[in-house]
Amino acid sequence: MSQILQVAAIAMATVGTGAATMTVMKPEIADLAVPEGDWSAGEILDDQSYFIEGVDLDSGTVLQDELVFRDGTFQSVNCQTYCDFGWSNYQTKVLDDVIHFTATTQCPDAPHTVVWYGTVTEDQMQLAGTWTTRRWYWNHQIRFSAEGSTTPPLDPNVTG
Amino acid sequence: MNPSRTSTTKFVVRFLILIAFLVLATWGAHMVKEALNLEIRPGNEAMVHRAIMLGGVAYVGLLALPFVPGAEIGIAMLAAFGPGIAPLIYVATVASMMLAYMIGRFLPISALERFLNLLHMQRAAALVARAAPLSGDDRLAMLLDGQSKRAVRVGLRYRYIALAVAVNTPGNSIIGGGGGIMMIAGLSGIFSPLLAFLTIAIAVSPVPLAVLFLGLRLQ
Repeated sequence: MSQILQVAAIAMATVGTGAATMTVMKPEIADLAVPEGDWSAGEILDDQSYFIEGVDLDSGTVLQDELVFRDGTFQSVNCQTYCDFGWSNYQTKVLDDVIHFTATTQCPDAPHTVVWYGTVTEDQMQLAGTWTTRRWYWNHQIRFSAEGSTTPPLDPNVTG
Repeated sequence: MNPSRTSTTKFVVRFLILIAFLVLATWGAHMVKEALNLEIRPGNEAMVHRAIMLGGVAYVGLLALPFVPGAEIGIAMLAAFGPGIAPLIYVATVASMMLAYMIGRFLPISALERFLNLLHMQRAAALVARAAPLSGDDRLAMLLDGQSKRAVRVGLRYRYIALAVAVNTPGNSIIGGGGGIMMIAGLSGIFSPLLAFLTIAIAVSPVPLAVLFLGLRLQ
């Protein structure tokens, strides 16, 4: 019995210290910092779709996507292929005729958070974002920027 | 044959084995990285997560076994996944070492020998069988095999430092590897669980800490 207790104590000490170590050593990664301001529930971009092309800022991988706005909600067609993010609320503000929008989407099945921040001038969109995965043992982030418009690309295949 | 010459030859052979081992380990890490061609994308993150979990479990299990150079899995994972994985490797290494220690300390020695034989790990079983009839001090002396009596005496006195050095010595798989060393440390009964845990927690920290905080890259 005493041996079982000793084994349990050592196992608990190892697991406890391991968990504490993971908490201390695992570097935190912040989501994309969205500028503060007078954000309000989005509707200005409703019923619009933007076809964007951009890059992963760290690897240079080319990203293509279609962003759809509908009924105050937002969806990335490309992200939807990796996880059922569904439709997420978006917010907007208008400064000097430029529409600013932001949305935070969360994957219900995995610890992915995607933060979007973009500006729309006439039908041209500039976009920045982060896809952050927070597992218990590490945090991983993909930073991306993109631009696009409401005009569909000649090659309609949307790839990631 | 002259004994000192035999000893020199033995040293040279061990040194060459060590160099070959390090070259192979480095090559292996490169191969793993190339094979995985890892760029973590939304599309493969779930697969990478599963690979890390499986690799982590294999790492803990293999590293705890005597004579298995499981540390190379850790090095390969560090090389493949970069500094982000360092905390997990560190925790898994400590867990693995303590698992080996607990097996050595609490499992009946005959059961341990049978288990290792069952796994066809004859060398490891022979190591355990060799340690069985010895006293605690003599078992520690096994870790310092080939050293002078003075070195053994100093090793016994500063046994936790000796343990840390033995676990960190490159090429220690020749004398049982980290798992074998910790198993014998547990068998010896002269290492308290708490101090053994603290010793290991400190002893295995340099590489993960260097990767995480000093930017060491294993490529």
